[in-house]
Amino acid sequence: MQSPLSQQLMFAQALSAVVEALINQALVYNLHGTRALIALNEKTLTVKLAELGFPLNFSINAEKIHLTTGIVKSDCTLTTSIKTLIELKNQQKLTELIKQDKLDIDGDIKIAQRFAAIAETLDIDWRSELAKRIGDIPTYKIGQLGKSLAKKLSFASEQIQADTTEWLVHEKNMVVASGELSSFAQQVEQVTEQVNEVSQRIDKLITQQNNKANRE
Amino acid sequence: MMSAHDQNHHSNNANSDENTTHFGFQTVDKNEKESKVAGVFHSVAQQYDVMNDLMSFGVHRLWKRFTIDASGVRPGNKVLDLAGGTGDLTAKFSQLVGREGKVILADINSSMLNVGRDKLRDRGLVQNIEYVQANAQYLPFEDNTFDVITIAFGLRNVTDKDMALRSMYRVLKPGGRLLVLEFSKPEHDIVNKAYDFYSFNILPKMGELVANDGDSYQYLAESIRMHPDQETLKSMMDDAGFEQTSYKDLTGGVVALHKGYKF
Repeated sequence: MQSPLSQQLMFAQALSAVVEALINQALVYNLHGTRALIALNEKTLTVKLAELGFPLNFSINAEKIHLTTGIVKSDCTLTTSIKTLIELKNQQKLTELIKQDKLDIDGDIKIAQRFAAIAETLDIDWRSELAKRIGDIPTYKIGQLGKSLAKKLSFASEQIQADTTEWLVHEKNMVVASGELSSFAQQVEQVTEQVNEVSQRIDKLITQQNNKANRE
Repeated sequence: MMSAHDQNHHSNNANSDENTTHFGFQTVDKNEKESKVAGVFHSVAQQYDVMNDLMSFGVHRLWKRFTIDASGVRPGNKVLDLAGGTGDLTAKFSQLVGREGKVILADINSSMLNVGRDKLRDRGLVQNIEYVQANAQYLPFEDNTFDVITIAFGLRNVTDKDMALRSMYRVLKPGGRLLVLEFSKPEHDIVNKAYDFYSFNILPKMGELVANDGDSYQYLAESIRMHPDQETLKSMMDDAGFEQTSYKDLTGGVVALHKGYKF
């Protein structure tokens, strides 16, 4: 009974092991602690993503989140895609996404909302955690380096964007500039007005012609 | 190194004699195997986890996760982790079954059980775990007790595997399932040859270097070759009474997970 390659390589188990370790480590560093987990003790949320060939079951027990990938009895099951999952950040879109068949919920939706709330309230002071391990001065230096890198990256990103726009608009003429587009739109509006005027004049002339013919 | 044919021939001869069994490639008296296996595990217990990580390059953790995923264990379940050794499966099961559930970590070897108990206690896992020193052939539990039974890398060391499977069937609840995670026969010749080379040339040296015990790891390599292949183990489970038996090959068949239900 040969298993599929992904199963033989245990992609699901590798992924769940990494994600589970990351989540629990993040919860350890969470400034709000793991209190939020208590209300969800022994509850399971299953997320079935279209992109993955296996379910992700998030179970809470002993103030830890356990991630499994088998078939289990779940309190709430979300069937969706990664793209829709990101859209779900805006909870007002929930009904719309269900209507569009992009999301299917089976079970107690409050469970899913509570899991989402845990993710939203995650608050980690990375600097103080890092300082505990490597000391204050290296942490400060790393922080400064990070800020400087972020600035440089932001500048580089703006520069690349400007250069690309310049190349596409002026050198390759592949894209029109926003000024050109609005000027074109204005011209189209003027032509529309002129056509309407001519159309009205024609209608008027036709009416006059018809009246004259009736009198004769 | 023995060829696969020699090994099978050897195995058939061993099985043909009711009073003897195999201990690696040696044929020994059935009464003798238990103490010889015990000797191996008393010797490797302290270095067991380190060696597992080294020998499998950490993949044994994924094989065990696969077993847990396939178990369908739920809060409130009663689980028997047979030949549970240093408690890798028990640790995860304990967290998944919750306060209402229970996990019994059973092993025939007291040294392994002690290492497992210390490890789990150090991790704060105490509330729903019990430790039992037990022989898989004569499980000291009432009929229909467990929702899930697992035996990971343990069945090949059992003297009478058929008897052990029948014993597991007896203590499993109707609707319960048995999961046997064990080394098996790789599907492809190239993998098989590479695996043979690794097992007989590198593994014992690694054991000598890290655990100062090359002989035990030589036994490990030999016992893997003498263990029934996927289809044979499946029919053994059928014979013991299990239903809907199936198996899944992992890492090219180096390891297989067998599953069977009691209805």
